[in-house]
Amino acid sequence: MKAMKIILICLATAGLIFFAGNSFAKVTLVYGTTEKVTDMDPANAYDFHTWEIFYNIYQGLMGYPPGKTNLVPGLAESYKVVDDGKGYIFKLKEGIKFSDGTPFDANAVKWSIDRIIRIAGDPSWLVTDFVDSVEVLDKYSVKFNLKNPVAYFPSLVATVPYYPVNPNIYPADKIVQDPAALKGGKLVGLGPYRVAFFKRDQEIALEANPYFYGEKPKNDMVIIRYFADATTMRLALEKGELDFAFKSFNPSDINDLQKSDKIQTIVGQGPYIRYLCFQCKTPPFDNKIVRQGIAAAINRPDIIKKVFLGQNAPLYSMVPMGMWTHTDNFKEVFGDGNIEKSKKLLAQAGFNEDNKLKFEFWYTPSHYGDTEVDMAAVLKAQFEATGVMEVSVKSAEWATYKDNWRNQLMPVYLLGWYPDYIDPDNYTAAFAGTAGSKGNGIYFSDPEWDAMFVEEQKDPNEDNREAIFKKIQQMWTDEVPTAPIFQGTLYMFAQKSINGIMISPTLQFIYAPIEKAE
Amino acid sequence: MNNLLRYIIGRTLLTIPMIFILLSIIFVVVRVMPGDPVSSMLGGHAPEKVIEQKKEELGLNKPMILQYGNYLLQICRLDLGNSMIFKQRVIDAIREKLPATIELTFFGMLITLLVGVPLGAFAADKRRSAQDYSIRLFGIVIYCIPVYWLGLMLQMIFGIWLDLFPIAGRTGARVFVAGFDWSGLYVLDTIVAKDFTAFKDVIIHLVLPSVTLGLVLSGIFIRLTRANMLDVLKSDYILAAEARGIRHRRVVYKHALLNAFVPILTMMGLQVAILMAGAVLTETTFSWPGMGRLLLERIYLRDYPTIQGVIVVFALIVALVSLVVDIIYALVDPRVRY
Repeated sequence: MKAMKIILICLATAGLIFFAGNSFAKVTLVYGTTEKVTDMDPANAYDFHTWEIFYNIYQGLMGYPPGKTNLVPGLAESYKVVDDGKGYIFKLKEGIKFSDGTPFDANAVKWSIDRIIRIAGDPSWLVTDFVDSVEVLDKYSVKFNLKNPVAYFPSLVATVPYYPVNPNIYPADKIVQDPAALKGGKLVGLGPYRVAFFKRDQEIALEANPYFYGEKPKNDMVIIRYFADATTMRLALEKGELDFAFKSFNPSDINDLQKSDKIQTIVGQGPYIRYLCFQCKTPPFDNKIVRQGIAAAINRPDIIKKVFLGQNAPLYSMVPMGMWTHTDNFKEVFGDGNIEKSKKLLAQAGFNEDNKLKFEFWYTPSHYGDTEVDMAAVLKAQFEATGVMEVSVKSAEWATYKDNWRNQLMPVYLLGWYPDYIDPDNYTAAFAGTAGSKGNGIYFSDPEWDAMFVEEQKDPNEDNREAIFKKIQQMWTDEVPTAPIFQGTLYMFAQKSINGIMISPTLQFIYAPIEKAE
Repeated sequence: MNNLLRYIIGRTLLTIPMIFILLSIIFVVVRVMPGDPVSSMLGGHAPEKVIEQKKEELGLNKPMILQYGNYLLQICRLDLGNSMIFKQRVIDAIREKLPATIELTFFGMLITLLVGVPLGAFAADKRRSAQDYSIRLFGIVIYCIPVYWLGLMLQMIFGIWLDLFPIAGRTGARVFVAGFDWSGLYVLDTIVAKDFTAFKDVIIHLVLPSVTLGLVLSGIFIRLTRANMLDVLKSDYILAAEARGIRHRRVVYKHALLNAFVPILTMMGLQVAILMAGAVLTETTFSWPGMGRLLLERIYLRDYPTIQGVIVVFALIVALVSLVVDIIYALVDPRVRY
């Protein structure tokens, strides 16, 4: 009986606790994602989600207002172009402080850029390809000396590698993975939020930064919850546990959620593209005929129908649809699932039914959502439908995937691209310019192409640039360093009580304007 | 030195060769598994230099006996090496996931005992009645059901249709884990932090996974308890107790059950290994961020050092629990230590 009484008392206590209500005292938004944070360091992070967090905890000298594409001054008050376009002087706003109260000045800008160059991490090419040196002119003036004139340099300055970090916190020559590795153990930035809590792959809490110089966010805290799978995230959203969820839902979940009365859909029609890469120095893919043969076998509408339930659009150029200079060259030259052309081209390269082109085809299951494995399977089937290719599909987790492309271990592999800056240059030079191509593991290099990129980068005349980009897109179908597959649509889902969510055309997602109706 | 202390020391010393044999088996099994870990990681296009570099990094270029020696030394230092896939120490990954599995298996075992022991005792008491047959049938059926199928059914009924319990994760998205996370054992942490909203949330998240795990194993305990109770209930002292006018319920559920409990205790130790195996599937079904899911995820990624590390930790836990159970056994039943 005594044991029974104890059990009853325990149950009663548990019951009382069970029904005791509580909630977040401040305006706290709970955001779900299946993405993963890589390095909490602008010197090495080069992925959509980590950059998204950086857009909210750091600031650039220039930036985009939420949901807009017009570039406006951020930490800079103004800028002027000097030395015939080879120099940019930025006048900084005064009185700005880092989120720990440390004053911000021109030294922090120079120190941060020098650090990016020194560390030479994944996104460093956005600095090193263009910037020769940085000079501090006075406490609030900084000058960028460029290697060549670059017409869109202010757009480049709005990218993450140009974001100033606190020199007292970050190590000068080491990449930081977690905030715990920073001096003081806390991440210090200049943006509207600061990191209150960080537990990798589980939870990151961002709280409003009291030292932020700009408009105060419309919420006090954003808690990012990391989900291992898209279905669990969908259920959490439907149960009201999440205020909003973004990247990446399964295509069937997207269809269902769009029909829900309780959930609102926010669509990001941005320049997000997916494509096939070839390691152009690895035989037989150093032969452009082989690359052409593989590109001809790709059937884009088939992939979109089978894997994405019609939710994306086929893409026939590396320059996305809707962006100036875009042309559908791949459609004209190769079409879709053109087996005869593929066989013919591969025959020219010496491959046939008796001597098949055998290769490893790689994808990563941990970076582009749960559909990636299906896309790899459909592509393998398309390649093998020619009868002259034998494909073995291999996969690697994202960190290993990146190491593999650096070490040239993946002859053919899938990648995706979100823009660093809105310009066709970012969709072409990044894959076919010698430095950018190496950074993506493609290792394509041609002096003629490099010269064309330098030409378009320094030419402020849009007509001239357009002519160059059209020629580059045409040449792409001959060299095929990469083969475009589709242009993606980004879907975000939120409770009806949530207002102010905007995915800008630059695919930046800023948390500050998001508010919750009572 | 008294007999109990001698027994404990002897049993503890016996654990050392047991662990040694377990570790040796793990070492051999991981290495005789088909496929070379380096080739599977780098693919067929890796240059010889890169393969050699990776082998050196992982210590796979050394003679097998040296690898074995290093492996044992590393485990003694609680160093399980580095993940082949993630830039992370294996021990860090395990430290992060282990509390979730301990919590799940603890509550799973609790459910097993709460369901299995009383039902077994009741069935023995009502021998050859309709209740007895029903409970025995339940015991057999529940033990035959695959744990993942039961998990899916409970998810569908109590999570989706009735919407009573969450079906995934350790906490709801609105619970601020940073506010209480200290040991990783969330039930304990929320009590220490006096965060009763979070406590409630943690408990309701535990219900379906621990019931799934616990129910499947309860079948064995029903049968074991029933069989032992039947033996005990035939004893003379039970007849004497009844003759002295002690209430039947007290005789059965106190005197008889306590005496029937000793073999159940032994079975509890043995069942921890099965519980751990069940946790792998339960954690996957319920998106429970524990060791089971870690193991499955890393098998998929062929992260051999982590696979080996997780199995080593599982083996150590089973060995440790066996030791503890045997010591408790000796405390409960003095015959063991003489």
